[in-house]
Amino acid sequence: MPMYYFHLRDHKTLSDVDGTEFVDASEARSHAIGVARELISNRNGMLGHDWSRWRMSINDDGGNELFSFRMVDFTADSSAK
Amino acid sequence: MNSAPNLGRNRLLATLPRETLAMLEGDLTQVSLSQGVVCFDVGDPIDRVYFPSTGMISLLIPTKDGKVVEAGTIGRRGAAGLQSALGERRSFTRATIQIPGIFTTISAVDFRHAASHNGVIRDLASRYTEVLWAETQQTAACNAIHDGSQRLCRWLLQSADCIGSDHLPLTQEYLADMLGLRRTTVTLLAQELQERGAIRYSRGKIMIRDRKVLEACACECYEATKDENLSLKTGVTLIKDSTLVARPELTGATHADVLFSFARP
Repeated sequence: MPMYYFHLRDHKTLSDVDGTEFVDASEARSHAIGVARELISNRNGMLGHDWSRWRMSINDDGGNELFSFRMVDFTADSSAK
Repeated sequence: MNSAPNLGRNRLLATLPRETLAMLEGDLTQVSLSQGVVCFDVGDPIDRVYFPSTGMISLLIPTKDGKVVEAGTIGRRGAAGLQSALGERRSFTRATIQIPGIFTTISAVDFRHAASHNGVIRDLASRYTEVLWAETQQTAACNAIHDGSQRLCRWLLQSADCIGSDHLPLTQEYLADMLGLRRTTVTLLAQELQERGAIRYSRGKIMIRDRKVLEACACECYEATKDENLSLKTGVTLIKDSTLVARPELTGATHADVLFSFARP
């Protein structure tokens, strides 16, 4: 199974150094959404004072970005799923 | 018992009056237990009581899909299976050694026998049950409303307090399981905490470098379940603490409580 890496980018990058195996990109996407929700389940968290510039970037083994999304799309008051 | 110094490291045992401890001493044994050892599983009879001296026990709720979530932790300020002093009991959770270390244990039968002759032990068991209940309520609230970063920080601080050391021999996988978080989430958060100077982590090890930073990132639940705050809010004193003893009116502690908490210097 291919490895996927889930980095968090703002003015800096928090790297997912270990990565996780998934069957395909769609599974990786579900995982990424799950991680985003765990990180932003409220606005007072360590990173959560301002999510507006943070992006979750999903990369393959070669370091190529497959897709990304804005973290703010997953905050509690967003209409996103 | 020539290993008496280790007995004192568990603060429940340290709180017992000297004569009570002397009565138990012949039945107490010290064991070194490694990570993953199950003290008792869900539904098992509680056949031993475990007083951690240096390690930590985790109370886990296993779910049908094979996951486990942590409902509580027990370190040197507590004991697992203490309720067996009050009668034969089975375990609602899976009690597992989470951080290896030295544990003082006694068979539940011997403990119950001692308790039947000794009100201090029965009293300790019921007090501790109240404390554990308060902690569990706080954890329920915490799991429901606080985000991954806050819970991670709280958990690290609490575990360090439990074992009396800032070196936590835990993998990120393990941490993620305990907190019910994805491993990726813990990896990202641990990296941020390391950048802030709060922790240092390497494979299988986490070291707390700056408690103040970690406390600032933790939710209020860490502060709320510290010994002194639990005592203030519940009126239950377990551990001797000069400020509480000096101000029994704050805790509603009775004179007997104060004597009790002073009983062992």
